Amino acid sequence: MRAIKRLWTRTLNFARRTSGDRRLREEMEQHVALQTEENIRAGMNPTEARRQAILKLGPVEAVRESYHAEEGLPKIETVLQDCRYAVRVLLKSPVLSVVAVLTLALGIGANTAIFSFLDAVMLRSLPVRDPQRLVKLGVEDWGGITDSFACTELFSYPFYRQFQRDSQVFSDTAALLSMMNDVHGFVGDRKDSELIHVQTVSGTYFQTLGVGPQIGRVINESDDSTEGAHPVLVLSDAFWKHRLGGDPTVIDRKIKLGGTVFNIVGVAPPEFFGTRVGAAPDAWAPLSMLASIPPGWKGREENFSESLYILGRLRPGVTIEEATANTNILFPQILHSFPDAKLTQANVERLARTRVPLKSLARGISYLRDAYSEPLKVLMVIVALVLLIACANIANLLLARSTSRARELAVRQALGAARIRIIRQLLTESLVLAVAGGALGIAFVAFANRLLLHMISSGPETVPLDVTLNLRLLAFTFAVTVSTALLFGMLPAFRATRLELTSTLKSSRGNSSHGSRTPLAKVLVISQVALSLVLTVGAFLFLRTLNNLSRLDVGFDRQNVLRLDIDSASSGYDGDDPRFKALLREIEERVSSLPGVQAASFSSFTFAQGTWSSAIVVPGQQFNGKVNVMHNIIGNDYFKVMRIPLIAGRQFGPQDTATSQPVAIISEATARDLFPSGSPIGRTYSIGSPDGMEKPVEKQVIGIAKDAMRVVETRDYMDYLPYSQHGWGFGDFEVRYSGNFAAVAAQVQQAIHGIDRTLPISNVTTLEEEVASSYSNQAIIAQLSTFFGIVAVFLSSIGLYGIMSYLVSRRTGEIGIRMALGAERAEVGWQVMREVLIWIVVGIAVGLPVTLAGARLVTSMLYGLSGSDPLSLIAAVVVLALAGLAAGYLPARRASRVEPMVALRYE
Amino acid sequence: MKQKPDVQQGTLALMVLKTLEVLGPLHGYGIARRIEQISGDLLTVNQGTLYPVLLRLEQEGSIESDWGASENNRRARYYTLTRDGRRQLNAEVQDWNQTTEIIARFLSAKAEDLP
Repeated sequence: MRAIKRLWTRTLNFARRTSGDRRLREEMEQHVALQTEENIRAGMNPTEARRQAILKLGPVEAVRESYHAEEGLPKIETVLQDCRYAVRVLLKSPVLSVVAVLTLALGIGANTAIFSFLDAVMLRSLPVRDPQRLVKLGVEDWGGITDSFACTELFSYPFYRQFQRDSQVFSDTAALLSMMNDVHGFVGDRKDSELIHVQTVSGTYFQTLGVGPQIGRVINESDDSTEGAHPVLVLSDAFWKHRLGGDPTVIDRKIKLGGTVFNIVGVAPPEFFGTRVGAAPDAWAPLSMLASIPPGWKGREENFSESLYILGRLRPGVTIEEATANTNILFPQILHSFPDAKLTQANVERLARTRVPLKSLARGISYLRDAYSEPLKVLMVIVALVLLIACANIANLLLARSTSRARELAVRQALGAARIRIIRQLLTESLVLAVAGGALGIAFVAFANRLLLHMISSGPETVPLDVTLNLRLLAFTFAVTVSTALLFGMLPAFRATRLELTSTLKSSRGNSSHGSRTPLAKVLVISQVALSLVLTVGAFLFLRTLNNLSRLDVGFDRQNVLRLDIDSASSGYDGDDPRFKALLREIEERVSSLPGVQAASFSSFTFAQGTWSSAIVVPGQQFNGKVNVMHNIIGNDYFKVMRIPLIAGRQFGPQDTATSQPVAIISEATARDLFPSGSPIGRTYSIGSPDGMEKPVEKQVIGIAKDAMRVVETRDYMDYLPYSQHGWGFGDFEVRYSGNFAAVAAQVQQAIHGIDRTLPISNVTTLEEEVASSYSNQAIIAQLSTFFGIVAVFLSSIGLYGIMSYLVSRRTGEIGIRMALGAERAEVGWQVMREVLIWIVVGIAVGLPVTLAGARLVTSMLYGLSGSDPLSLIAAVVVLALAGLAAGYLPARRASRVEPMVALRYE
Repeated sequence: MKQKPDVQQGTLALMVLKTLEVLGPLHGYGIARRIEQISGDLLTVNQGTLYPVLLRLEQEGSIESDWGASENNRRARYYTLTRDGRRQLNAEVQDWNQTTEIIARFLSAKAEDLP
């Protein structure tokens, strides 16, 4: 109790900076005066009396010190003192301090940023109840719709319902559409349509996940009972807050999607983003409304319209293996029970072989995980290396500085400073550095996160991913900072205080034993060079990959093509509607006649946008169900717009109508491999497998087009069909233009809206950009690795420069003597350069095997070159050597300019 | 915050408390005098060390201090024992007596006294 009271008083004193110094002085003066009087009374003369009194009081300074120590909190005071002193010392060498702080900030910031992405994309569990018990049928996370028999990834609605009834192993079962529907809708009475990402889910979805509403209610089983009868929406927290202003009376407000008015019934909790990482829906609707989002979607009641994911929550005590076993008993049973199952021999055999794999859904469904985990891991390694270099650099800088301060420290030790006190002082300095670097690093994280979000977002919309800095990461960052500071602050501190005082005091410069004094510094510099080599080679590899990709021959002319998306489905058009086709033709004609436009055409795909593919049957050829042909439904001028040359035959024209002979144009590779004997022109083939649900469609080949790529690195079989003969709810519209993009883009949109004002237009961009965005991944990696490579080389140069200048300054005396004895200036300079060169060569020799091993790991991310690409290796070595020599040049010049007399006199 | 008490400081604190109990409010010099008189030469030198002890006792709440006028009309700081201090003194005196008694008995014990 007394101790607490005392601590409290002391803390108060400390905080108020009260000092009892005056009081003490007054009391002691009083004391001396009283004692003097006493002494005089005892018969001393006044001078002697006062002298005796003072003697009796004892050493005033010591008393004052212990009085002061009792008064406040001396330990904290010294810490603050140390901090103040540290800041002063750091400010005295601002360049070094700034470089150190920036280095740390960069290392820590980049690491935290990349790690927070790794966490969000790969590590974090879904924010739902007990995510470890959730499983999903199928492992590949396809998105789309298929009618293939015994598909193990996508399932039909009737299958889901039957599975839900029969399954023994799940306490809850849910389904959701494997795609997000991007529909244009109207909120309330608003005049302008908005793009809304809607996820359709089964009535059990929220219940299975264990997610309740924030306000209102979530979708329940009764919303999913009768097809088309339950137009209800649950909004995401983000949509509610950003587009509806967080209106608390949002329940029962209306949103019109296509032709259907939906009723808002609830808002999901803020942390819930669905089951797919990086694709948060704006709203959830029941699967009963599948046909309205987008309008015209059919197949909810069809047994083989497979487009759903099925999720389940394992019953308590059931393992994923038991669940898999049970699921695979049900799977063939349910398929056999469908009356329209096409039980051909091939299908039955296939079903017997097929097993449905189950996977844990704890971390959600994520295409990001597949697409970005490798780049993120590579980036993580890169920034970890940068952090290592940064640490080495800081260690080197602190080391060099503390050695140059050895004399100061020796003086302080000689004056009685305790060793621990000096170590603490040096530690405080490194801690101040580290904390400053860490704080700056956190500021840097915010910026880096935006950059990375941009990296994984291909369009104008950023991927909805929660990468905000969380406390865990903050703690991680600071742990890294502080341990860096402690580790690398401790080493120099111990070294500095281990000095033998007398020898350090005797001469300001070391003797010839400088070499043995800096082994640690040399190891650090060499490892910096080695790590820099790794990063530089990586940067060159990725840059060359990017270069190869940007010069990739895609088979079409990507220059001067404008492309945009038209959301015809949201406006209520059906793909087979003749009026819709007339509308398409009108748009094509109107836009083609615009000034500066050469040609315009619709197509179902352009580049890296998903596919519709199937097997084909060529009469006279063995049917191979494994060879797929990618189909593209196009307008008549598509080849003109894309500048894909026709090798033989003719293009589509006005003579190809809905009633005329169905025709197709095939690609060169298709003609060569799938129509081997004779010219394919005039021959017929059928799209679709003979075992499929839909009847194969027969087409006559009228032309052969040169091969074109639809995805980077793949040359697939392709054919083209005219939209006049084949229905498709269109998206892509391409325009070949000349002149100013912005002007043409405005005119084109105006022309389209002149025909139908309600058609929502989105993603207006150039074909070139669309192609580039398909390798934006590689582009960002190339940019980031180049940036970090430059940082690494820069840091290593600073390290080289720092240690070399330090060595030169320590050797000034020796150089002076050698010059006095007749050494040439150039020779002295060369000797310094030679030392730098040796370090670089050793660093490269150490780094080379590491580089080659590392490069093998990234081979899959390179295009058009191997990991051991000699050009990249040579370029990296040259860059490193040049940077190192530049770093060595200044100290070398300084060495060569040493005036022997000045140097010797200085001793 | 637990510190190993300095023996001399601890003894000094006890002496200060006892002095104040016996003589009532007193300034630093008076306390020093009194201790000197009773203890002989314990505090003849380094009387200044008394002041940190006084501060400590005051911070612990055992004594209070205020400015007053001394016998010869100078400004002096007078220390008074508080109720807390009195309680502490009693406790410490008891402790002390016990300790000295044990030590005394221990030191006077002879081999033949042991069973």
